[in-house]
Amino acid sequence: MNFWQLMLAEFKAILADKAIVVTLFGGVLFYSVLYPLPYLQQVPTEQQVVVIDHDNSSLSRLVTRHADASAKIHVVANLGSIDEAKTWISNGKAYGLLVIPANFRRDLLLGKGATLSYGGDASYFLIYSAVAEGLVAAGMDASKDVQLIGLLSRGQNPQLAEQSVNSININSVPVFNPSLGYTPYVVPGLFLLILHQTLLIGTGILGAGQWRKKGYWQHVSSTQLVLARLSVFLLIYSVFSSFYLGYCFYWYQVSVAATIIEVGLFMLPFLLATGALGIVLSSFFMRRDLPTQLYLLMSMPVLFVSGFVWPIALIPEPLVVVSQVIPAVPAIMGMLELNQLGAGWLAILPKWLQLWGLFAVFICLAVFAVAQKQKQAIGISS
Amino acid sequence: MRQLIKRELKSVWHSPWQLALMSYIPLIGVLALWWLFSAGLPRQLPVALVDLDNSQISRMLSRQLSANSVIAPQSFANEALAIDAMRQTKVYAMVVLPYQLKKDLLTGHQPTIDIRYNSQFLLVGKLLSSQLQLSLAEGLTQIGQQRLLLNGATKATVDVSLTPITNQTTALFNRNNNYVGFLVPPILIALWQLLSMLVFVNSLNKELILLQDRYYLPSNIGALVVTKILFYSPIMLLHGGFILLWLYHYLGLPAAGGLIDLVLAQLAMLLALWLLVLVIFMAMRDGARTVSFCTALFAPAFAFMGITFPVNDMPELAQWWRLVMPSSHYIDSHVSVISYGAQLPQVLTQVSSYWGFLLLLPIIVLLAHKAKQVPRSELAVTTAGQEVNQ
Repeated sequence: MNFWQLMLAEFKAILADKAIVVTLFGGVLFYSVLYPLPYLQQVPTEQQVVVIDHDNSSLSRLVTRHADASAKIHVVANLGSIDEAKTWISNGKAYGLLVIPANFRRDLLLGKGATLSYGGDASYFLIYSAVAEGLVAAGMDASKDVQLIGLLSRGQNPQLAEQSVNSININSVPVFNPSLGYTPYVVPGLFLLILHQTLLIGTGILGAGQWRKKGYWQHVSSTQLVLARLSVFLLIYSVFSSFYLGYCFYWYQVSVAATIIEVGLFMLPFLLATGALGIVLSSFFMRRDLPTQLYLLMSMPVLFVSGFVWPIALIPEPLVVVSQVIPAVPAIMGMLELNQLGAGWLAILPKWLQLWGLFAVFICLAVFAVAQKQKQAIGISS
Repeated sequence: MRQLIKRELKSVWHSPWQLALMSYIPLIGVLALWWLFSAGLPRQLPVALVDLDNSQISRMLSRQLSANSVIAPQSFANEALAIDAMRQTKVYAMVVLPYQLKKDLLTGHQPTIDIRYNSQFLLVGKLLSSQLQLSLAEGLTQIGQQRLLLNGATKATVDVSLTPITNQTTALFNRNNNYVGFLVPPILIALWQLLSMLVFVNSLNKELILLQDRYYLPSNIGALVVTKILFYSPIMLLHGGFILLWLYHYLGLPAAGGLIDLVLAQLAMLLALWLLVLVIFMAMRDGARTVSFCTALFAPAFAFMGITFPVNDMPELAQWWRLVMPSSHYIDSHVSVISYGAQLPQVLTQVSSYWGFLLLLPIIVLLAHKAKQVPRSELAVTTAGQEVNQ
């Protein structure tokens, strides 16, 4: 059996296994739609807020209207007391409240100053930040209005007054994900993890299914088998990767900064290392339903330890160190830096080399593990 | 019934994986995920500070920034270096204090302070953006104060004319924006749902009978399923209870309501989960395929809970899909008990939102009935097939 025939046999074995086909082809397609589904609207808008207006003056109504005009906030009701607002919030009818104190307008005109209180439900952070941003902006706006009127009434020239109210500009701009969208935030890291997990599951099921049965895998050297298996999975996954990193990134409006050659060069050791790791681990599975279960449980910890949801600096050091042997961890961070943040090739070189290093270790282990399995199988059949 | 439970116990004892799923894997998973987020509050996040002015005012502003616990300013000589550092995620944001900032301020021009924050890391970026603006605004009011005092305003009027309206923002139910209180409970619940699903699927798969390439169910499948529910529900509830005790007793996260009510909600969630798994199992009747399908179904449950991204802003389809996940029903009760202090009657009303799952009951019975019809002539092979399957 030459190498091409072996690769063909591997390919046939993969396609003949329904569980692998479903996980690889079905899973990759299904997840590309399902995971980003909740986030399609990108930013939370029009969060329901109630207003408790103890003042009922022209100015308090102006503040309410300004708050309602914010894209982030929708004022749903004007209530009489904070207790009432409490029931609205605990019934889930509102997520925030704005309290305008009594004598709000009078105090401001007398130059005494007043305090606006905002509250947002911090059980949901994105809602809270939307409510807080919207209400604070409305409050600042009203504050500037009052300042301006005060200055004008003291006989300031309008142009100067405008300037002294805004004496300095703070120009705060988000970069790399200019729309602050949720899919560009989640998709790049998550999709690499999906590729990683499905590849591990695929190699795992294939191995677990084969070790018990006689087959072509016994008649070739273990090095040849590992190389052929890696090549076949690499071919399949180059198609999946093109679909994920190419079409899906475009479809979900992920910002892309690297060239296709750089992305390809970076994906190569990632897929190879993952495939080799999959083959190593497959030698530990005796039942075909185990790989799916184990990798499913591992996916959430791997996602969070990779450092794009929760900053790496805040993750306990031992976890970070241990996680470096999982190919997805350096790959997700490296790919984000390369493709989304546009750091040059030199910046991610250490991670690229780390992936090659992992590949070198895993492939040696894989050859050894497969050889071990072949020996055992001979023992069983004779 | 007692015999059936004994049989279940025996089969668990002989399956190391099943035993692991019910004993140490949940414990390790829960503790590891909590440990990952245990820092709780994002602190000392590196921010590049490019001070092109080097004046008294710009230095005052940078001191103002370093006084903020979230920000750890690092000085950079020019913008190019800071941009490089930002691209390599060495810093999460950059602040540029422009050349002649002080002069422009003194001569009545309008200087611009530029902030760029990394929104690819959404949570960190948003937090830094608001904290940077807060710290800078605080510093700038001091400058304004001095100017007004120089113009002869009295101390009392200065504050008011600078900021006539003060803002008081309160994060309700999670005062210090603790990430452990916000993110860890839904993550652990998602993990718990996965574990419960796997335990139940594995035990169901053991009952399949292989006959001529097709799987059938034993005739007493009804009693077996009831036994499994009675057997596995308390065990998984124990783990659910451990999560609650760990978070709200040992770690002392604030909980407004009673944890007992939540255990009730967890039981309802488990029952709904069992029903869903039973339908899939009866329809598929194949070990590996049931596992694959359930995995595909429940793996993204966390995204659909609506904690990180609000439910109202999900597309219609996602909201429907969300209702299929038992965990999203549970998390609503969880938030209302922990945050709003909901009492038992409210929890019970929320539990009634599972009513749709009851419609699965007749489907399960129907599918089970069909699956039980083992061709008579082949009954003899049954036992042999069962052994192969084990």
